[in-house]
Amino acid sequence: MFNHVKIALILTTVMIVIAAIIAGVYFMTYAPIAKADLNAKFEAIKFVLTDQTTGQLLVDQSQIPETMKELNAKIWKSNSSGVLYSNAKLPGYVLSPAYLFKGKDGSDIYVLTGYGIGFGGRVVSVASFIKQKNGGFLENAIDVIDYANETPGLGAKINDPDVRSRFFDIPNSGFKDTIKVNKDAGLFPLPSDYKSKLNDYKDKGIIVTSDVMTGATITPRSVANTLNAMYEFLEKEVK
Amino acid sequence: MANQNGETNLSVLTAGWIKQNPTFVQVLGLCPVLAVSTSADNALGMGLATLGVLAISNLFISFVRNIIPNEIRIPVYISIIAAFVTMVNLLMHGYTYDLWVSLGIYIPLIVVNCIPLGRAEAFASKHGPWKSFLDGVGMGIGFLGAIMLLGITRELFDSGTIFGYHIWSSAYDVFVVALPPGAFLVIGLYMGLFRYIGKVRSQKKAQGDESK
Repeated sequence: MFNHVKIALILTTVMIVIAAIIAGVYFMTYAPIAKADLNAKFEAIKFVLTDQTTGQLLVDQSQIPETMKELNAKIWKSNSSGVLYSNAKLPGYVLSPAYLFKGKDGSDIYVLTGYGIGFGGRVVSVASFIKQKNGGFLENAIDVIDYANETPGLGAKINDPDVRSRFFDIPNSGFKDTIKVNKDAGLFPLPSDYKSKLNDYKDKGIIVTSDVMTGATITPRSVANTLNAMYEFLEKEVK
Repeated sequence: MANQNGETNLSVLTAGWIKQNPTFVQVLGLCPVLAVSTSADNALGMGLATLGVLAISNLFISFVRNIIPNEIRIPVYISIIAAFVTMVNLLMHGYTYDLWVSLGIYIPLIVVNCIPLGRAEAFASKHGPWKSFLDGVGMGIGFLGAIMLLGITRELFDSGTIFGYHIWSSAYDVFVVALPPGAFLVIGLYMGLFRYIGKVRSQKKAQGDESK
């Protein structure tokens, strides 16, 4: 009996000491982690507000947020639940808050954060959509900010420039029947001249990823689902 | 200075480099090695994180080895290892964000890597803090070397680069090495090479003994 109590006491003491050490490191790293996460978000917003063809900002430099206060001033829609829109069938989710920027040409540019379900859980992306004069939205660019649970070398390649660029400049015609990665759209194997037709495929809602993300379909599909949910949200909310 | 088993600080430190290399000789902790070694960057990050956890957890386990009853030694060792992995994860999230995102799930999974628990049970629980620390560092260097070798090989043959620097034309790219079958293929070849080196060395040693 005494031996059991002694063992329990030793184990409890060890756990308390370990918990105290982890708590100390947690408090020490709390501010740097918050700063790193916020910087990632600022960088992502700046990235998606850049024209990926010319490298020029779509908005005035003064509009790019560098502090939380400046970012909060750009909030277009938010709610307390944290999710602005969800389509469980895809599945794709739009997170709160959504931001609205004014382009240099006066167009409305919506910056949304959302996620789809990848191989290891949430794959979170930030994307920008430019309201078109003839209706609909042009998806300008995406930045995948959280793919920490995707497999390194496979799904985790989702934010490589080669892969990410496949999700740029998708016109509203592409979202007509939701966008799909080429394997899901039945475009596999790829024809020999597929590289010259990437934009044509985008017009039809087909995003070619199988050549730059060999062996990974779930992660790019989750990003496509996120963009589909974002587009549905904008169509519903923007009059 | 050597102990009763003839172990010197240098022999403890260098044992894990080649002779008892945790990856190629002991065949431990293969899951993260195969999964993360797709690039030299990832391999370096994973190798350094594992080295840090191994060295510090070995040191702490050695400190507490005499006060931990035998019945609860495994949960205590695992808790200590998990604590240090959590700390490494928090520190990488705060200070090396890009690498933390890139390594993803494999940092928390160091907890279930066989090497830290294996060294805790086989070495740190039986030796003093200094030798245990050296063993952790040595095994960590062995692991780092092995995963770097794989990372460099796979990155080179997949994209013709090492640490992102272009080495040769993409015409030589063998993309299969970046995929899981490629990982098994490359590690198999290196294991064969290590076995061959070991065999040649032991044959030479035997020949030397005979000639004496």
